[in-house]
Amino acid sequence: MMLAAFTHPVFDSQRNFRELLQAMARPASPRTLPVLAPAPVPATPAAMAILLTLCDTSTSVWLQQADEALSQHLRFHTGCGLVQTPVEADFALITDPTTMPPLDTFALGDPRYPDRSASLIVQVEAFHANTGPRFAGPGIRDVERVRIDGLPERFWRERVALASRLPLGIDLYFVAAQNILALPRTTRQLED
Amino acid sequence: MYVAVKGGERAIARSLELLAEARRGDTAVPELELAQIRQQLRLGVARVMQEGSLYDEDLAALAIRQAAGDMQEAIFLLRAYRTTLPRFGYSEPLATQAMRVRRRVSGTFKDVPGGQVLGPTYDYTQRLLEFGASAASNTVEADEPLATTMPRVLDLLDAEALIERIDPGSDPEPTDLTRDPLMFPADRATRLQNLARGDEGFLLGMAYSTQRGYAESHPFAGEIRMGEVDVLICPEELGFAIEIGEITLTECQMINQFHGGNGVPPQFTRGYGLSMGEGERKAMAMALVDRSLRCDELGEPAYAPAQNQEFVLSHSDNVEASGFVQHLKLPHYVDFQAELSLLRTLAAQQRKAAGTEALA
Amino acid sequence: MSTPYNFAFLDENTKRMLRRALLKAVAIPGYQVPFGSREMPLPYGWGTGGIQVTAALLGPDDVLKVIDQGADDTTNAVNIRRFFGRVAGVATTERTADASVIQTRHRIPEIPLREDQLLVFQVPEPEPLRTLEPREAETRTMHALADYGLMHVKLYEDIAQYGHIATSYDYPVMVDGRYLTSPSPIPKFDNPKLDRSPALMLFGAGREKRLYAIPPYTRVESLAFDDHPFEIQRWEHHCALCGAGDSYLDEVVVDDRGTRMFVCSDTDYCSQRRDDATEEAA
Repeated sequence: MMLAAFTHPVFDSQRNFRELLQAMARPASPRTLPVLAPAPVPATPAAMAILLTLCDTSTSVWLQQADEALSQHLRFHTGCGLVQTPVEADFALITDPTTMPPLDTFALGDPRYPDRSASLIVQVEAFHANTGPRFAGPGIRDVERVRIDGLPERFWRERVALASRLPLGIDLYFVAAQNILALPRTTRQLED
Repeated sequence: MYVAVKGGERAIARSLELLAEARRGDTAVPELELAQIRQQLRLGVARVMQEGSLYDEDLAALAIRQAAGDMQEAIFLLRAYRTTLPRFGYSEPLATQAMRVRRRVSGTFKDVPGGQVLGPTYDYTQRLLEFGASAASNTVEADEPLATTMPRVLDLLDAEALIERIDPGSDPEPTDLTRDPLMFPADRATRLQNLARGDEGFLLGMAYSTQRGYAESHPFAGEIRMGEVDVLICPEELGFAIEIGEITLTECQMINQFHGGNGVPPQFTRGYGLSMGEGERKAMAMALVDRSLRCDELGEPAYAPAQNQEFVLSHSDNVEASGFVQHLKLPHYVDFQAELSLLRTLAAQQRKAAGTEALA
Repeated sequence: MSTPYNFAFLDENTKRMLRRALLKAVAIPGYQVPFGSREMPLPYGWGTGGIQVTAALLGPDDVLKVIDQGADDTTNAVNIRRFFGRVAGVATTERTADASVIQTRHRIPEIPLREDQLLVFQVPEPEPLRTLEPREAETRTMHALADYGLMHVKLYEDIAQYGHIATSYDYPVMVDGRYLTSPSPIPKFDNPKLDRSPALMLFGAGREKRLYAIPPYTRVESLAFDDHPFEIQRWEHHCALCGAGDSYLDEVVVDDRGTRMFVCSDTDYCSQRRDDATEEAA
């Protein structure tokens, strides 16, 4: 049976969007998504809530694990196009970060249009504020510290490598349980 | 004692009352009915639908009445309403070659298959004001029935390979300017979409400039046709096209001389115009401007305003233009104050410098 | 009140399009994101960009403040506030401190904004290079290459000719050291408020179909030269109503002999100061 989406689509999307906006504006700082959405595995309710909030018929989504029930669910509730390769995606759902494709396989944008780049929703185990690596950049007053559990070692190397391509890049939303945390392309990981 | 101006809310409310009163006028005179506007001001309705990008005669008539006959205001009303309409799908390309023609003229051949058909045109009216009530209309019987199909004049030239070939199948998926912003350089489909929504007066002036040496266009009116065309949509779940209605259209195909260039051999080239309802002036102007904007593609020297796509396409829309020109009546006193203080500083400096010189 | 329109006027697809564009705008500070600007029921040039941004943000719990020239009671501010009252039924306020979303034209409020507030600017011309280079294809390339020589030459010529940079409003800024950005036609007096602001600032240009953002705590520098540092406007007067010596002043002609008086442009700031003074006196 098909799972439901938001109970109050207009207001649930609006409330989630405001948290996503603040998450992107204040990187590396965990926040709570106000409204979750039922999600077929391997997607989590928080990841599904982001997809329902932002995606529709004019959006291309790439699923790392394109489970049939998940694909159907997304297509039915958002009308989004599901694409076969990471580079075509406006949004990508990463359900198993350990085997995710390298970051530079996603669209980084065009020098004249760096906004034509992918946003990744990455399901991770957990994040812990005020500990772990330090981050700085627009949106961060001094530095933020956060440790994200469940990412492969290579992930951070790939992300650092992308920094030389700025303002091209990709923007990341991490989700764990009901929490979200964003890392836009401009957030720098500081050396310890 | 100075008190900061208050009462904007009340002022607006009073202004709206005055506007309603002025719009309605003397209540002893019956209010216009929408059917009267739709029927007796049909060319105004056509323009509002065309530039309002919404084919709905009743809504256009309503907008004209609400705007007290100010066409640009009526267009604006229709556009703002259009924003709120859900989009169910896109139609199939319109088959204007299958138009049920009511008017069709060609300036390039004395006669063409299907004939020259004047139809309902103001062209030969002699423009004498007709005082008194207009004559009661009678049903006009055609001298002879029109041909059921009329081949397009340009297709005749096509058969002889004298005019550039167009293969509609090779056209890329057009962007939808009501959903996506205009980007430069804009391809031809996007340009045509912009021109179709563009202000008739602006396009007319631009088109006129191409005839007066600001772009070499050498145009001929290959064909102008007006009549009814079926609108088809192909719902995904059906898999085949179904007819959802018919609309009145005016199509103009201009033929332009071209001596060759940019790898294109000498041949006639095309300029295209299409307008909802009876909109011949608009369709012709659009076709001329379409052709002049093809200068890059055809390797023509571009020096005239009508060849500059950023210039033409960025300034064609009367809702944008009217809003921005008229926004100058909004308060700007904060910026004006900033300019005042700058000007005073500069003036003081100049006086000081002049004084120093006089002393020296 | 029931209306045939969706909450906050725009349909949900349009809001999603705006929201996606806003998130990219925040992710690329100062970069102008093209967006599918819709035709709004208010004219282009009258705040349609700001209105669309606000419509994408607003929820039933928001408290909206709208100012034009710093004042809540200017007719266009009243009209925009009326519009959202009608199509979204949100609470409105004239008090800066009480607002969760502030839409503004030409000013930044005098009292510092907080992290939980959003400031939405109405922008007539988002491209700071437009008066120097009218072609969008060219200015896009300049931004891609971060080639802002044209602007520096213009400012330098100002200095050579007038001894000053002759720009008093819409004074260009560099955002996060990367994108040259228009702060919208705020007086340069307000430019320092853009730098490392605790509040997220969003900019909407409806007619030009561009959105951009300055995230909180982001470096925003007004262009200047070492020997010609950036300076803001100063007045010899204080506000004639509240006595403020630190606010942007409007010059008001009070009689037909041309007598002038100077009052705060930020009407909420001015009236709060007067209320506070009355309380102290009591």
